[in-house]
Formats: sequence, C-alpha cells, structure tokens
Amino acid sequence: MTQIDPILLSVYARTFKSITDEMSISVEKSARSPILCEAKDFVTGLYDKDGNMLEQTENLPILAFSLAPVCRYIIEFYGDDIHPGDVIFHNDVFSMGNQNNDVAVFKPIFFDGELVAWAAVKGHQADIGGNVPGGYNPQAKEVWQEALRIPPVKVYERGKRRRDVWSLIFANIRLEIVEHDMKAQMGACTVGERRVQELLAKYGIDSFNAHKAELFNASRRMMEAEIASVPNGVYKGEGEIYFDGHHEGSRFTIRVTITVEDKNITFDYTGTDAQTDGFVNGTYTSSASATILTFLQMVNPDIPHNEGMIQPIRMIIPEGTVLNASYPKATTFGNHLCPPNADAIIRALAPVIPDRVTAGWNNLLCSLTTGIDAEKGDKYVDIGFMGLKGGSGAMLGTDGYDHIGMIDASGGLLDQDYEMFEQQTPHLLKKHEYIRDSAGAGEWRGGLGVETEFIIGSEDTQFVTFGDGDFEPAFGLFGGGDGTLNSITLTYPDGTKLVPHNKDLITGVPKGTHYHQFAGGGGGYGDPKKRDRAQLRREVRNGVISAQAAHDVYGLED
Amino acid sequence: MSSKIGIDVGGTFTDFYYVGEGEAPRIHKTLSTPEDPSIAVVNGMAEIAASLDPPLSLHDFAASIDTIVHGTTVTTNATLTRRGAKSGLLTTEGLRDALEMRRGIREEQYNNHFTNVVPLVPRYLRKGIGGRLDRRGRQVEPLNLDDVKDAIDDFRAEGVEAVSICFMNSFANPDHERQAAEIVRQEMPGAYLTVSSDLLPTIRFYERISTTALNSYVGPILSRYIDRLQSSLAEVGFGGVLMIMQSNGGVMSPDVARNAAALTLLSGPAAGPGAGLGFVRAHGQDSCIVVDMGGTSFEAALVDGGPVMVNEGYIDRHRLALPMLGIHTIGAGGGSVGWIDEGGLLRMGPESAGADPGPASYSKGGVKPACTDANLVLGYLNPEFFAGGKMALDMDAARAAIKQAVADPLGLSVEAAAAGMYRVICNNMAQGVREITIKRGFDPREFPMVVAGGAGPIHSCLIADELGIPLQIVPRSSSILCAVGMLMSDLKHDFVRTFVSPMDAIDWPALTRLVDAMKAEGGDLLTSEGIKPKAQEFTVKFDCRYLKQYHEVSFEVSDADFTAANAAAITAAFHAEHNRLYGYSLDDIDAAVEIINVRVQALGRTDKPPLPEEKRAGADASGAIKGKRSVYVPEDNAFSDVPVYDGHMIVHGNRIDGPAMIEEATTAIFVSREYSCVCDRFGSFAIYRKGQESLVATALEEPRS
Repeated sequence: MTQIDPILLSVYARTFKSITDEMSISVEKSARSPILCEAKDFVTGLYDKDGNMLEQTENLPILAFSLAPVCRYIIEFYGDDIHPGDVIFHNDVFSMGNQNNDVAVFKPIFFDGELVAWAAVKGHQADIGGNVPGGYNPQAKEVWQEALRIPPVKVYERGKRRRDVWSLIFANIRLEIVEHDMKAQMGACTVGERRVQELLAKYGIDSFNAHKAELFNASRRMMEAEIASVPNGVYKGEGEIYFDGHHEGSRFTIRVTITVEDKNITFDYTGTDAQTDGFVNGTYTSSASATILTFLQMVNPDIPHNEGMIQPIRMIIPEGTVLNASYPKATTFGNHLCPPNADAIIRALAPVIPDRVTAGWNNLLCSLTTGIDAEKGDKYVDIGFMGLKGGSGAMLGTDGYDHIGMIDASGGLLDQDYEMFEQQTPHLLKKHEYIRDSAGAGEWRGGLGVETEFIIGSEDTQFVTFGDGDFEPAFGLFGGGDGTLNSITLTYPDGTKLVPHNKDLITGVPKGTHYHQFAGGGGGYGDPKKRDRAQLRREVRNGVISAQAAHDVYGLED
Repeated sequence: MSSKIGIDVGGTFTDFYYVGEGEAPRIHKTLSTPEDPSIAVVNGMAEIAASLDPPLSLHDFAASIDTIVHGTTVTTNATLTRRGAKSGLLTTEGLRDALEMRRGIREEQYNNHFTNVVPLVPRYLRKGIGGRLDRRGRQVEPLNLDDVKDAIDDFRAEGVEAVSICFMNSFANPDHERQAAEIVRQEMPGAYLTVSSDLLPTIRFYERISTTALNSYVGPILSRYIDRLQSSLAEVGFGGVLMIMQSNGGVMSPDVARNAAALTLLSGPAAGPGAGLGFVRAHGQDSCIVVDMGGTSFEAALVDGGPVMVNEGYIDRHRLALPMLGIHTIGAGGGSVGWIDEGGLLRMGPESAGADPGPASYSKGGVKPACTDANLVLGYLNPEFFAGGKMALDMDAARAAIKQAVADPLGLSVEAAAAGMYRVICNNMAQGVREITIKRGFDPREFPMVVAGGAGPIHSCLIADELGIPLQIVPRSSSILCAVGMLMSDLKHDFVRTFVSPMDAIDWPALTRLVDAMKAEGGDLLTSEGIKPKAQEFTVKFDCRYLKQYHEVSFEVSDADFTAANAAAITAAFHAEHNRLYGYSLDDIDAAVEIINVRVQALGRTDKPPLPEEKRAGADASGAIKGKRSVYVPEDNAFSDVPVYDGHMIVHGNRIDGPAMIEEATTAIFVSREYSCVCDRFGSFAIYRKGQESLVATALEEPRS
C-alpha cells in the first residue's frame, strides 16, 4: 500500500486540472464549428481505467457528467480488447450517450503496457446525419429520424486508422467540418494522453492509483459535508414541459422526490409522466447530468469535480418516463429537459435551504437557421445563441445574472460576435438589447432577458425552433415576481406574422422577413418593496426598470 | 554613450536603473507614492543624484539625463479600482448593450453569487445611433446626425469627459465613425475621443467596442499623469526624451501614449522579457523563459528570438484586443497564503497577505501563513538579512502560523508543512510556465529560464526540475529586471487591418498598397518620435485560418515571400504554425486557407546601453562563504547544513555546487542539490543541472593566465 503524501495530493489535483484545461484549449482553438469554438459546447476529461472521473473541464455544465457513464460502458463492451493506439467514437443514446449530436472521442492511456486511464472529449457536432441538418428534428419519432447512431466503434486500432469505418461514419454526415472537428477532439485526447504518461513516468503507477483514490475521498467528504447541512427529510417538487412537437396542447410533468439522509441524497423521479412519441424525451445520462448540475448550484462551487463528488448522490430515473426514454424513441431534445427538471428540484428544496437556491431561470427557446448565403453561394448553419439566453434566477443576497440563459449553460454559452454573425450568415442584425422590466421583481431581481431582431438576407431560409418558456415564465420565490415569457415571431415581407410552435420546422422563409425573439428574464427573490432604493434609481435611469414598474411594483415613491 | 534611466513604478517600490556616461549601472529603489506616482520618480532621481561621487544637485543630474524610459501602471490601477474617466459611447442603434453583456458569459458557472463586472460606460451613457453599414462596409442606411447631436447634448449635460465611437462593420468602412467623430470634435472640443476604426480596425464587434471603451476610460487619466510627470521633470531640469512603456514590450512617445492610452494597460511586466533576452545572450542563446515572482503575483513570458506576442488579453474581465506580450500571470508570490480546503487538500493562494499586514513573520499583525513564512522556516530566508537587513523576520510567528493553519490540520510537523507549502507553490508556478510554453506549442526544456523578482530564485530550481529546464539565469539586477528592460526596449507600433480573402486568390496589388500604407503610417510616427529611417524596421504578419475555422493563427510573413506574392510559401508557414500550436494541420488534404487580418509592426531601434561585463576570475568561490545554515533540500526531502555565500563577493568565473545559498541585499538564491552555479560574464548566476556543464561552457572555462 503506497503511503499518501498530502502534498503530492495537491500536486496531482492541480496537474489533472491543468491537463483537462489544456485539452480544452486545444479543441477551442482548432475546431471549426462555431458551436465548439465560439459557444464551447464540449467537455474534456480524464478517467481512471475503470471509468471513474479524475477531472473534467466542462465548458457547459449539461455535459459535465455525460462522459463517465459512456466510459464505463466502453470498458465493459470491449473487455480486454483495448490496445495502445486505439481511438473510439461514440454518441449512441441507448448505450449511455446523452444526446445524438454530442459525439465523444475516447483514447485509452497505457503505461508500461498496462491500461491506466482514459482521455476523452465530447462535443456537439454541427451535423450528425438524420432527417434534418443540424440534428434537431421536431418531427422525429424514432432515433433513426434524428441521427446516425454510433455505438462504441474503433476508428483507430493499435494506432492504425480504419479507413473503411471512418468513411462509413462520415458518409452519413452532411458537413465536412464535422470530420475536422472530430480530428480536433482526437488531437486534444493525444494532449491528455501525453501529459498523463509524463505524470506516471515521474511518480509511478502505485502512487498514481493511491493518490487518485484519496482525491476521490477528499471530494466525497466535501460533498457529504454539503449534504449534511441540508435538514434530513423528504421533499417533493414538480416541473412542467409544454408541447412535444406533435400533440397540440400536450404537457408533461417531471416529479422528483428528494430524500436527504445525513450524508446522502437521493433524487427519485418515480411518478414522472411517461415518454412521448415525439423528440421531447430525455436519456438517463442527460437527466442525471441535469440533476447533478442543478444540485451543484446549491453547494460550495470549489469542490473538485471528480468521481468522489457524485458518490453521495443517488438517482432513480425510471425507464419509460419522459426523462429516460426506451429504445428506439427520439431524444434529441433531452438536454433541454434540464430547465424544467431544475425547476422541480429548486421547488422541492427552496423551503428547506432558502439561502442556497435561486428563483427560476429563464428556459431555453432556440432557433437553428439554415440556408444558402446567396452572396457567397455557400451553405450555413447558425444556432441562435445570442437570442436564446434570458436571465438567471435571483437568490438571497444576489440579483440574477443578466443574459446568461438557461441553467444547463449557466453562463458558459457565448453569443456569436455580431460581426462574425453577419459574416457567417446573410442576415442583418437590427437589435440585441436587454428588455426593460423583463427581470422578475424582488428584493433581489431576476436577470434581464434580451430581445433579438434580424432581417433574413436570403430566400428559402429554414428555421427549426426548439425550447420552452413560452407558456410558463421563470418563477419568483418568497415574494419575488416571475420573469417574462419567451417568444419568436416571423414577420414576412407582406406583413403576415407567424408565431412558430416552440418545437417546429418552418421552411421557405423569404428574404426580407424580420425575425424577432424575446428571451425572458429570470425570477425575483423576496419582497420588491425592500429592494435597495439607490440601486433601483440607477436601474430606472439605465432604463432596465421602467419608472412605472419602479413605482407600482417596487413602491418607489419619488 | 549618453545617460539614461529606466523607471518602473510598482505597487510598493519604484525601481530605477541608471546608466550614466562611462559609469557602471546603478540599481535604486524608492518607496512608491500611489496618490501621485510622479513624486516617487523625482524622489528617486534626487536620491541617485545625492549618491553619486561627487554628489550632484537634482537639477544638474536631471539635466545630464538624455533619455528616461518610464513604465507606469496608472491606467491599470484606474481600471482595477474602477476609477476611470466618466465616458460616453456612441454605437449602432439596437446594439448598445454589447459592452455590458460581454457576449453573455459568467466566468464561474456554479457560483450564483458571482456578479457581472460593472460596465465601463453606464447604460444611460451608451447611445444607439441610427445608420448602418453591412458586412462589406456598404451603406444600408445613412448615419443619423441628429442622433449624434442629441447624444452629445446629453454627454455635455452629464459632464462626460471621454467619448468612444464604435459602429457595426466599421472595420470594413470607417466613414460613419469619421462623420460622428467630426461632430464630437466640434461640439466637445475638450473631450477625450477614441474612434474604433482608428484604434483597432479589425473584425469582431465585442473585442473592438471593449477595447475602444477601455481606451476612453483610461485616456484622460494617462494624459493628466503624463502632463504632471512632464512638468515635474521639466521643473527639475530634465530636457531629454521621455518614453512610455507599452504592453507590447516596446516604448512610445508621450504624444502617442496620450491618444492610445490602452496600450499601457498591461505594460507593468512588459519590459521583463526583453531584459531576459539580453542576459541569456551571454550564453549564446536568443530564446528564454522569463519568470518574475513578486509579493502577490508570478509572471511568466516566453522569448523566442523576440518576446512572443498575443493579440488579446483581459483586464478586470474586459477584453483588450491590442497586440501585447503573451505574459501569463497567476496569484503566487511571497505573500501567497497557505490554507486547507474543505476536502483536506493544501492550497497556496490566490489570497495574498500583501505588504500589510504581510506574512506572519513581518510582525505587522498578519496571522495567516504565507509563502515567505515557509521560506523562513525552510532556511531559505535569513531572519537577520531580509531586504538586506532592513527588516527583521520573526521565526516564531512564522512557525506558529504554519502550525495552526497547515501543520496541525494535516498532522505534519511545522517543517514538513512548510516544505509542503513550498512544493505546492512551486508546482503552481510550474503550471504557470506551462501556460506560456506547452499550451502554445513550445517545449520548456529547450529554453533557459531567466529568474527575476525578490522571491523568484528561491523557488526556481524546483520549478526548473518540474519542467525539465536545464539552465536558469539569475541576473544581478533580477529584483528590478523591468527597469533594466526599459532601457533595452525599442519603439514599437502595431498596425492591423482586416483584409478578408482566400489565400489562393489574394489581390496582391491591393494588399501591397495596404501594407505600404501601414508601413508609411508607422514610418511617419517613428520619424515624429525622432527615429531616423535607417533605424526603422517593419515586420508583416498575417492572421489566417482554414476556411470556416473561427480563430486565426498569427504568423510572420517574410519580406521575400510577401514581395514575391508567394502564396504557397505563406500557406506552408501557416500549416507549420497551426501544427505547432494545435498538434495538427490540414496540409495533407490541401485545405483552403483564408486571410482575415494583416498586421505591420513598425520598430524604431534605440541606442541601448551594453550590459557591463565583469573581469574574469577563477572558479574558487570559497572566499565568499560567510557561514553555514540548515536549509530544506527538496531532492532529499530533508534539511542539510549548506554553505551561505555573499553574492556581492561572487565574481565572473566563480563556481558553487548545490546545495548552497547565495545572499544579496535584495535577493536570495537557493541552488539545490542537483544543480551547480557559475557566475557569467554579465555577473549573472547561471544555475545549471549537474552534468549539463556544456550549457555554460564559456563561463566555466578557466581563464588563461
């Protein structure tokens, strides 16, 4: 048994973090799709030989816990058929993937001929085959209408590329940048592999194994202390999903029962509504990620993200529910069930830990635009990042954060730069501003939502909308007000207006159409009458709260 | 040769490096005067004048100086303390919140108490102006002059002293910005004005608007400071040339600095890398890593021929998209506090005990154990000889603080805990060096490391060991390296224009006209600063990317390739740089490359004082031994009695084998067991890994007698 050196422990922790950061920079700087390099919709991680998470750099929280379950699946799938130089691709949601578009690269790391660890990168690809470019198909009923399924597959075996497998995969994907982006992910895994091997050369495998186990213990102890500070008990909450893309007026309820027992916490989703035959279904991995990331918002943000952190957290997500769909249901919308899932958890825990929860966050409503840029004669795909991010929920002592969007991104998803948006699409941006009075009122107000308007610059443009938050606003807490609703409106050149469903496919949109989107504000916290008056006056002056709302809602007298 | 002074203003001390006509250089430090930093400048000059032999009056001394190079952090401090100018912003209607949104980022994703940074311009002073250009600079809607006038009326009523103008797509056509600027100049003649297409005519709206607003935010502050400094210097008789240090490692005249104040925002550590280069030349090298460990921060930079540049940085979470040295800063210094996190792991920093109360051993009320306290317990610092004996350190206080906060919680002895603090902070710094080497595609083992800052040379052997760096250079002037570097800096002006084109279809005549115009602009500026044409040099860089990539790679284009319009050679250079940075390139599939920006750096060579060379002596350094002390030797993980040398008595050619301590007034150097040290011809301590004598061969040769 190797002795634990408390100092070396800190060295390992810092080094693991530095490695996953380095892998992240490698992807960010060399990928092509703006989804990866601008919006940073990817995660890099290191895992031990059994698939336990050593460290991750998750640029988006929803991806944070989505690699370890796949890593374990892959280890079991290949058994002893894992060799130095192998590279494995994976996206399949029915073998522990979280979303079809999120494609992972896994690279086993060997030292002295022995498998010691894994380097992995998972990123949202600009296209993954299926019926609709970009992967979001609101009309899908089965996985095959959504995407090419990639269960674990070796694209490199013992250092040699399998040309046939490689071309089979990319023959089924529309955009050639995906091939380059997967290479960028592989490059980052190589970076991770190299650094872990250097570390092992220095300290040896026994030291590595003993210290990583102790690092898990350290994170576990921190998480246990956080859970122990929540009163024991059973708490229930609900969150609502509106419209599955097929059935007008359809609505689904997420039901969570949270049991806190000393150092352990269980999230049990038994009683959640059954899966749909549309694409509004979660996968086990996406729903587990949503659960963990929501709870992490309520604990010390400094706990190192490794396997130990999630050991005290138990989850029961019954198969066949809207959170864990059965084969072969469509699931692309699954990541976006995080907001209503978070609502359920926040509502359950708000009464017991009122000082640690936020009010409701603005839910996602997104549009994905595709078409031909006539002036350049070139295809483009644009995800409307700048338009989709409303305000976060307020909490005791702190206002919500303006325009950082849904909780599953938590401020990690960046807007397109305006000028790059106009270079990459034929559209002309007219407006991108905070919306006055969008923040839920409160002693601490919600984050502000934003308004986005652009003029469509080419004929025959296609929109896919996906999201929610157009029926129910972000909720306030403890006397705080609700935020505002999401909406998208298309105004055609002849003046007709079209309000798409929140999961919809709109084709043949003509040049000159105005696209107009509101992303709502976050929920407020506490009595608005108690809001700091000087701050309120500044906000009136800055035009983010109207004089009338300041008077009527906040009770500002002068 | 004429007299020059480099003056570097720091938070606690203002450093001077004085090279008088025919004299050995002098190092001087005086206390900084943060309320008006120019006071310390004059104080220090008076102190140097009085210390000369024979002493001079301040007036005679000042009159004898013909160049002062000055590094100032007034703009940095104004930004960090949010005391910039009250400014107004004119921007495209509908887009005025871009500055505050910062593209919708929250840097700490799991921390709901984390708030947005206060915007540089409050919303009520951000005015949307009608008028629009499209992506190629074609007018969609004319500029609404009434909007501009209304905004100016508001600005005047509000007492705005600085105005920024940044419109959509102005990188492609500056016309609307120029129209608006003309009105501002007429209507607000006293206002400080920044026009984005003048300061940074490149694509990316957020980068440009943030940089423009930063320039206006600090412009009036720097202008006033330069006025004050120039009049103070004139008052005491200085009639020479004043130059101001920039973040790009070059210097500029006060007039250029007034207009582009943002160029000084990250200039604090920018002179160090150039100085480092001067010292490694003694060993036939022209590349190095330069590290500087002060009281609260650790800075690392890479020099590869010249200092490595980057095209963007941040200050207080605001984007600054001007070319600058790629200096990486982390919170690790002598004041870094050791603590145990909730999971039981030892961490160092980023909290710093600062100078007041300072580490526990300062006896100024500090109770948290700092890096300096650990160094004292480990024997690296001499309690009686800290800061040359000007300050006594309290060993008992250091031990008590470490015991309470680190040793007891971890169940370690005080010595083991101190050793742990030392190892953890060295590891943190080694990761900082990785940021500027491995993460940018350079192998740290191929570079000597120049070590600066009072606390640097105690830690550098372990940092070098962690990274496999075989050679460290500790200059005599390591505690004021930036002041030295200022006298080694050239004038540098960076120009950039967006020029979007596929690499294989460049309109070469148009590009050549553009580059010639940029060179002419740079040449005119240098000429106005007194640089003769034969001392002017120009470097061309392209920012390129693979078609549809999002980030560009910036790389130098040789004169020959540019003149010959050799797109193939330039493309090959791009593939190579991409491969170095990111581990792959797409030359195998002949992927299409596009150019986005073209850059010109105009460089005006200055006269630099040569580094003084020492006379050669033998290897025997035993005469400099002043005693023995028990210090912690990391390779043994144990304490040993090691010889302590008086660094001031060490001369060129002297050799010292580790483990050993070398003490100077402002620096302590620890030579660990695996290392030896030889004093080189510039008097620097060249610390090399045992067995790697070839690296310092010229310094090791015995003198011929």
